[in-house]
Amino acid sequence: MTRKISFLPIAIFLIIIYFLFNELNKDPTLIPSPLIGKPVPKFISQTLINNSKITNNDLIGKPYILNVWGSWCYACSIEHDYFIDIYEKKTIEIYGLNYKDDRNSAIQWLEKKGNPYRISIFDNFGNIAIDLGVYGAPETFLVNKSGLIIHKHVGPIDKNYYENIVLPNIKNE
Amino acid sequence: MITEIGNFLLSIATALSFCMFFVIFTEKIINVGSRLLFCKLFIHLITFLIFISFCLLISAFLTDNFSLRYVANNSNISLDTIYKFSAVWGAHEGSILLWVLILSLWGSGVALLSKNLPKTIVSDMLAVMGFLLLFFLLFILLSSNPFDRIFPVPLNGRDLNPLLQDPGLIIHPPMLYIGYVGTSIPFIFAIAILLNGKINITWLSWLRKWVICSWVFLTMGISLGSWWAYHELGWGGWWFWDPVENASFMPWLSITALMHSLIVSEKRGIFISWSILLAILTFSLSLLGTFLVRSGILVSVHAFANDPERGLYILLFLTLIIGSSLLLYFLRSRYLVIKDNYSISSKELMLLINNLFLTITTFAILLGTLYPLISSSLDLGKISVGAPYFNFIFASMMLPIVFLMSPAIYSGWQNTNYKYLTKKLSIILFYSIIISYIFLNVFYQTDIFIVFIALSLAIFTIFSSVMKILQITKNGASKNIIKNIFLLPGSILSNLLSHIGIGVLIIGITISNYYSIQKEVVMKKNTEITIKDTTIRFVNVKRKIENNYSSQVGIFDAFSENNYLVSFFPEKRTYNIQKNVMTEAAIDSSFFRDIYIALGENLSEDSWVVRIYYKPYIQFLWYGAALMILGGLFGIFGRNKLSQNAQNDS
Repeated sequence: MTRKISFLPIAIFLIIIYFLFNELNKDPTLIPSPLIGKPVPKFISQTLINNSKITNNDLIGKPYILNVWGSWCYACSIEHDYFIDIYEKKTIEIYGLNYKDDRNSAIQWLEKKGNPYRISIFDNFGNIAIDLGVYGAPETFLVNKSGLIIHKHVGPIDKNYYENIVLPNIKNE
Repeated sequence: MITEIGNFLLSIATALSFCMFFVIFTEKIINVGSRLLFCKLFIHLITFLIFISFCLLISAFLTDNFSLRYVANNSNISLDTIYKFSAVWGAHEGSILLWVLILSLWGSGVALLSKNLPKTIVSDMLAVMGFLLLFFLLFILLSSNPFDRIFPVPLNGRDLNPLLQDPGLIIHPPMLYIGYVGTSIPFIFAIAILLNGKINITWLSWLRKWVICSWVFLTMGISLGSWWAYHELGWGGWWFWDPVENASFMPWLSITALMHSLIVSEKRGIFISWSILLAILTFSLSLLGTFLVRSGILVSVHAFANDPERGLYILLFLTLIIGSSLLLYFLRSRYLVIKDNYSISSKELMLLINNLFLTITTFAILLGTLYPLISSSLDLGKISVGAPYFNFIFASMMLPIVFLMSPAIYSGWQNTNYKYLTKKLSIILFYSIIISYIFLNVFYQTDIFIVFIALSLAIFTIFSSVMKILQITKNGASKNIIKNIFLLPGSILSNLLSHIGIGVLIIGITISNYYSIQKEVVMKKNTEITIKDTTIRFVNVKRKIENNYSSQVGIFDAFSENNYLVSFFPEKRTYNIQKNVMTEAAIDSSFFRDIYIALGENLSEDSWVVRIYYKPYIQFLWYGAALMILGGLFGIFGRNKLSQNAQNDS
């Protein structure tokens, strides 16, 4: 094999390595949602705790976080403390979408772990979640004051979610 | 205590592997005999230490020692003992420890079974092995230590991922790892050869046995994985071109290429630097696979364990080890020449084409696997490359290879009688085409072109291999043909058996792929549905409560023309701790078909979504894989030449 050809493997390898390094620090859970820039889909449902009627129009007015959760979802209990922290900052409202859950266990779960949600929407059959394009719990949407989705996060949020995602995005609101 | 002892043993092993690596720099000071002795001593000690620490981890799982974070995260008091055992390698930390254990065992194997190689080569090989061990041990100690503590100690563990609670998954990962890690042997051989700048044909035949050995384990591991996916995932599929699967398949393709190119190198003294390059590439693909699986850059949306720090560590190592080996290859590969002038015979040409296609396939799969990363890196958006791409590439590359198998089997190294060969093979090909045409029209009343081609080629390969066996044995020593088969040299038997296996596998893949019948229906209790010639009655659903899960068991009875055949009990399990819902499909297998029933959602009191599949010839997948593995075993353990006995008989 000639000298030039035997250099080819290294060249290919270096290109591959470049891409791997480049990608390493990106988050694979960032999936662009076709809903970004679109309004939150229309819905009419019940609130989790006192069964009163709630629609998508009730949420519009201020920017808010919409978190899809369930008491059956292990990863939701991991991210729950971060939502409590955000709640205590009192700068943005958090709404919950209680996804395919049992009403009693959901309420007990909130009583035990604390309730950061202004209102939790009870989505027993997952219909709202389907319209939102939810893959599974937990997922978190950031919505601006006119009701347009501006960011979507798949999987549990981390402690930097507020600093890195919420603050920059609602700064101009 | 267990934390201290475990860390202590692993630290000593790390220090020893550093010493073993260091031996490579002592060439001028210590003579070769003592260098080899040191290396052998080190590798056996390291294996022993890692083995003991692995046993410690097993005992921690069996005694529910939840003071270890790893045990607390992956086990549970109510878990079956057998799954407590397999939970040891159920997640990252334990599986890396298993990786290292297997690596050191392969190293010890080389130390024990290398009398045919010169001492310099063996001591250099072991020193390079020392470097590999050093890296993985450091990786364990620094970022994935299974002996880390958790405080406060939980009363009970979080349980093993229910997906992994299946008999198939007890042995699948170890098998796969043995094969994966086995690719390190050709790698350390290649590096030692490049460092010494010398090569000898007898060394290559030593290497070939090790290569076949790791090929056998890889084949077993991959087929067990498919078998598990087919039984456990509940959608009747067995291969999904998922990045993790590709990660195991790429080394398989490349080690298959290596196996074939080594035959040429060994017989004719050519393609040597190509074989060396393939050895490096195979191990690089194994490492890349480990990186892709462990770094989390390609995991699916719902895997929550994403650790860029670990990924960075593996990636740096990957760059160092592969980069420096390729550089070494660039500088030294010119010296690895045994024969300068050669003419290429038909057999070599066909093996060369085989290598070319296998390598292209490997790269096409690599490209497909990495494409989402590349496009995201270039800001072209997130794109996923799906099964259609892989299926197309794979089929279009594999069919030419399969077509060439039969001529390759029949042609010799020298003096091939082309006229005879062409005539004989044309007749076999002609009959294969007729048979496959009749078969498709009688049983399926359709002919899809690609199925027709694939089936003809599969039958062609099987026929020509079987004819070859008959031809050799007819002229053989004994009058008894069966006895003659066992007297064949291992290399011939392994060649023919594995190629028959490939033919059988292709039949299974094509027919089950194109002629499966799939019904997803809502069924009420006491209703019936007919699939192919079988009537299936949904009898009832019962609750069952086990130690760590509760389950709903469907009862289905199958009838053929009013005769009762068999009952199915598909399950939908809910695991207590992690609350995951798992499907356990119920499968009735017979030689020519599987009927596969999986229980879906419960819609109301007595109506359920039920998925029923009729899968013809799917069993041929497992038969094909078994034949390939058997072939590999003959390649390792078969007799080397026609035995004395056989010659005396004639």
